[in-house]
Amino acid sequence: MTPMQDAAPKPPNYPANLEASMILPKQRGSPASSLASLPYRRSNPSLHKLFESTASLSGSRPSSGTATPTPSTVPGSVFSPGSRQNGAGTPTSLPPGVSDEHRSLIQRAFVPHVAVLADTETEDMLRGKGLDGGFLQLLRPFGEQVPGKVTIRDSVGASKSWEDFGVRFVGVHDGLGLPTAPPARSPDLRIDTTNGQREEVRSGSTSNLQRRTGGDVAQIEGLVDRHLQYSEFNAHGMVSDYLTHNEAQMQPESTSSPFHTLYLRRLLSGLPVVPHETFAHPVASVIAVSSRTPQPIQEFSRLYKRQREGDLRLPPWVESDYLRYYVLIHDEETCDIAKSNQTFDAMKRHFGLNCHLLRLKSQQCIPSDDDSVRLPTCEWMSAAEELSEIHKRETADDISDPTPYLPDSDLTALRTFVRELVAQSLVPQMERNVHTWNEQVLARRRGISGRFMSLSKRWTGGFTSRTSSSPSSTSSNSNYDSIQGSYRPDAPEALMRKLADYCFMLRDYKLALSTYDILRTDFNNDKAWRHYAGAAEMAALSALISTGPLTSKTRTENIDGWIEAASYSYTDRQRSAAPYYALRTLALSLELLRLRGSSAADDAARWSSRIVEMGLVGTIGGALFTERVAACYSIRPGIGSMKLGGRRRKAALWSVMAAEKWYSVDKAMQAERCLDAALRLYTPPPSLSMSASAGTADTALLDPHAHVPLPFPEMQGFITDLRKRILALRLSMRAYEGRDDDADGAEGDLDAEVEVEEATETLDRSPRAHRKSLIGVGGAPPMNLDIGPLSPRSERREREGEGGDRFE
Amino acid sequence: MSYLFTILSPTDTPLYTHEFGTSRSSGDGIPRFSAAERALNPFILHSSLDIVEEVQWGPSSTSGSAPMYLKHIDKYQYNYISCWITGANVRFLLLTRPRDEALGLTSGGAGVAGGSKGSLAGGRGALGGAAGLYNPTNPATEEAVKNFFVDVYEVWVKTVMNPFFRVGNGDVVKSPVFRARVAAAAKKFL
Repeated sequence: MTPMQDAAPKPPNYPANLEASMILPKQRGSPASSLASLPYRRSNPSLHKLFESTASLSGSRPSSGTATPTPSTVPGSVFSPGSRQNGAGTPTSLPPGVSDEHRSLIQRAFVPHVAVLADTETEDMLRGKGLDGGFLQLLRPFGEQVPGKVTIRDSVGASKSWEDFGVRFVGVHDGLGLPTAPPARSPDLRIDTTNGQREEVRSGSTSNLQRRTGGDVAQIEGLVDRHLQYSEFNAHGMVSDYLTHNEAQMQPESTSSPFHTLYLRRLLSGLPVVPHETFAHPVASVIAVSSRTPQPIQEFSRLYKRQREGDLRLPPWVESDYLRYYVLIHDEETCDIAKSNQTFDAMKRHFGLNCHLLRLKSQQCIPSDDDSVRLPTCEWMSAAEELSEIHKRETADDISDPTPYLPDSDLTALRTFVRELVAQSLVPQMERNVHTWNEQVLARRRGISGRFMSLSKRWTGGFTSRTSSSPSSTSSNSNYDSIQGSYRPDAPEALMRKLADYCFMLRDYKLALSTYDILRTDFNNDKAWRHYAGAAEMAALSALISTGPLTSKTRTENIDGWIEAASYSYTDRQRSAAPYYALRTLALSLELLRLRGSSAADDAARWSSRIVEMGLVGTIGGALFTERVAACYSIRPGIGSMKLGGRRRKAALWSVMAAEKWYSVDKAMQAERCLDAALRLYTPPPSLSMSASAGTADTALLDPHAHVPLPFPEMQGFITDLRKRILALRLSMRAYEGRDDDADGAEGDLDAEVEVEEATETLDRSPRAHRKSLIGVGGAPPMNLDIGPLSPRSERREREGEGGDRFE
Repeated sequence: MSYLFTILSPTDTPLYTHEFGTSRSSGDGIPRFSAAERALNPFILHSSLDIVEEVQWGPSSTSGSAPMYLKHIDKYQYNYISCWITGANVRFLLLTRPRDEALGLTSGGAGVAGGSKGSLAGGRGALGGAAGLYNPTNPATEEAVKNFFVDVYEVWVKTVMNPFFRVGNGDVVKSPVFRARVAAAAKKFL
């Protein structure tokens, strides 16, 4: 029917996908369900591509941790726990079962932003190639990872090469939420960096105005929810088949679920342009002009002027003096290369070295062409963008993949271009800036006179604020504009912040940390609270992300305080509430703390539960971060042969909590996964299990076949009950799937089905909006969960998985 | 306030469980756990054993011999756990759930994120600022819990001295006398 096989991500999924491909994609309004009002098109290969990031189950994780802490051979007395590994571990010596993925994720999230500006001829040409988003859409995927190694010299002159360096190509006005209105006045919980006014600001060069600004927690939740739904509905069968059987069993719970990674990634995608941090401020700008333009040099100057003082100008607190990179786009098919070379030479004379001649083909490329390559998917799109993309593909009529294809030569040209831009212009420019500011601003501030200046400023500032009653007037010699909530871009504080951010982006965490630390006190004196929170946040992150060892003393004395201060100032209602940033602070620092293992993992768990307690996240995020608490606790190994000081039971508790939360948002698969993890944790390690199963009166009451004897009968009862409920939920999901199969042939039965559905819903204690009918399960009565096993193999699997609970 | 008192064997099996409410300040001694809390309580008690073990084997905070009364050791949301550990490694755990008023949860709806408190963090008012309402490390509270534990320990020692009570095998305590004594101690001190 449809060419599906090429979209199958991995061989074990083959039967499931084959089955799915047999379903005719058809718009079908599901009755009485809010969720299914969005049409599900599970057989759409292009849609599947979008969910790939989470669809591949974690069987393919690179580092496989073990479920329970491995029997480590930590020698040492029981009586001196924690003295050896006091959270002082470095990320280079990771505890077992912990992968470095989040650290590199964070490194790859904070990268230089490059604004992209192209003239109309270029946009027209690229639209002819099938790229609706124009030059920006073409460039974006290639900036995510610069091919080859990028060598960066840090402030002390040491060079280091990075494989995974990248840049973020953004539109000229991307990320600009609300530049003018002071954020301090907005009382709503919502992140205040996105509002409607962006649409009008944007010049109408692109047709689909997707919001490329991230920073909206609600949208992130919505997106992750879509991914979860997709995985729920595409789950193959209740029981794993022969091929995936072992994979599902061996799934280590200490690595994060793909959904959590997605959550983090979207949290860090599309950083808004705000005054208090300069990560999203453009470090450079690419100005592209097509060779079809009659007078390219004039066009370059025109675009430059527009960007510098014209309609494309950024708000005043963004430095407008950044690197410009001029690109002449040569159309291979209609233009003459000799003429383009001539123009290019003229460009070099005019604009200096930051020029590039990019040769592209203007012909549209189709997948069946010889050397056509699919435009890679953008990894770092914002949640809103991905949501709209999913929506677009779900509602589109044709099921073909709308992603444009490019000829191979274009790809090579683009890669070379990006590599040259980054390695030869962008990074040296940033290094130079860091060097200059370090000498001119930071050294002066650090020196004796700088200290004296700040001290005197503090004193005079203190006096004025005491005498003047109005809170908005700050001391006269402060550079902080408290009305706008920003510094001038050439103020020493702004430059230092920029310096620190550059250092962070160039991965020179030592200088970044010391600069952020100075900034913290300065912002504190200026009462620039959001800036203060930002500096504290980044100070904590740069201290944690560096690979050097960290004593537990510094950790508890400094870093905890910074995280605390940042999360507090970000959520302070009176001054300015920015829950998105508080969430970012906590979520990132908890991941980095977790990597340090041991007692740092305790702190990580604490911050994670703080996220849930503070209500920074919605239901999905709540479940994810509850799961995260369990993950933090579970990596903490015990000491000695008795595993003392471990957090196995704590982890199990939080896993159960997570399972319940997942259940309450109808995510049966996730709930089941958490419950399995909890039961694994409750199973005592071999060294302790000697007498635990000695039949006490209590455990004897339980099922004798119980795989995991839980200590409390109430616990066993609760878990059994939860397991039953999850199973029921899962059955209903599966029934929905099954009904789809029938429904292809028997649309007329719909009425009857609706009746049955109502009947089953009344049996439910809490009927949910999108509970599906159970008719597809071969007419099994819904409450009798004893379903005929599909095969002897699967029966055994079921019995194992449920710890032998008998449901009849 | 509601309490849940549990005696756990060294292998983490519960030997005795007693649920009661406060009898102080005209309390009626009836526990006020909601159904969800009641289901969760065993999990919380069990998970706090991790902390018990850490405190038990960790570097001693007091000079000289290791204390039997470990005081307040753990907390999960608004459930506070105190512990007493006997010589035979039997753990007495007392879970305390203060009333909502004692946590400042019901006053002005500050428990909902978005109350009139200073920060968005709705829970933080109860965590930090308003902790004066119920403080598990308050000396008076600690002393009351200690007295309770001492009384229970005395009865417990008498119970385990019974030659027909095989404590090593995880016999649960069924004696009505024991239950009555524990209830009396609870009424007297908590």
